[in-house]
Amino acid sequence: MYAFKRVFEGSIKEFKFLLPIFFLSVVVAVLIERFIPSDFIFAVLGDNLFIAVPLAAFIGVVLPIPRYATYPVAFALFTKGASIGVIFALIAGEVICENIIGDVMEAKFFGLKYFTVRLLLSIVFISIGGFVMEVLL
Amino acid sequence: MIDGVVNDILVTSIIKFVKVLPILIVAVVASQVVKGYLSHRKISSKFKESESNIAKASAVGIMTPGPLMAFLPLLKDFKKKGLPLSIVAAFITGQAMIGPMRLFLESSYFGVMFFVYKVILAFFIAIAIGTCFVFLEKKIKF
Repeated sequence: MYAFKRVFEGSIKEFKFLLPIFFLSVVVAVLIERFIPSDFIFAVLGDNLFIAVPLAAFIGVVLPIPRYATYPVAFALFTKGASIGVIFALIAGEVICENIIGDVMEAKFFGLKYFTVRLLLSIVFISIGGFVMEVLL
Repeated sequence: MIDGVVNDILVTSIIKFVKVLPILIVAVVASQVVKGYLSHRKISSKFKESESNIAKASAVGIMTPGPLMAFLPLLKDFKKKGLPLSIVAAFITGQAMIGPMRLFLESSYFGVMFFVYKVILAFFIAIAIGTCFVFLEKKIKF
């Protein structure tokens, strides 16, 4: 009974945080579908992978996109012509710097130098992962 | 004219949101169940076992649910007791990239294979970052 209560309360807490953000990201996805031409998205995120994948990883890492909010936007980009490697890089990059409080804590606990190096290494290896994903799927 | 466009965007957004809502509910509840099952103490003991093994730290990170923030104080304590930064980096990278909620959302948006490959890639990315830190720790004072 206690476990059920804990799961229920935890889920409600998570929903309160997640639902508004997720709805907003769905609106952004619809805006992309409506107003950004497929040709443009393909040219930027689908044509030249050697630029698009690292760019997506960089955007994912540096933009403080809230947890899970990337999915509707990434799916909209995917349906408009972005490659799967780019989508991987964007989604995988997003989690590296997702929460400013967490990032500050990490930098404070382990040092700014460590945090910066981890960020740079993440961009490099996530980009490589994006290329691998492109080959796999 | 503008009202019509705004209305149309909102209606489409609501329809899409309602379609994804059941997956979101399952994902949130599943992540809470996993979080409840894997207590902080259990993860802490698994983490102690992986103190000198980057691959194990990456795997433990991938299997650990919940926000990363909850584990940072624990990692800080371990580091004070001598845990190398390479292990910290491998754990953090693995933990951030994979989670139970992502299984449902990624599978529904991009297919199960996308998630499967992402887990495998996350494991190797975490190991690669941890290994880089092994070398960097010898050259740079963090």
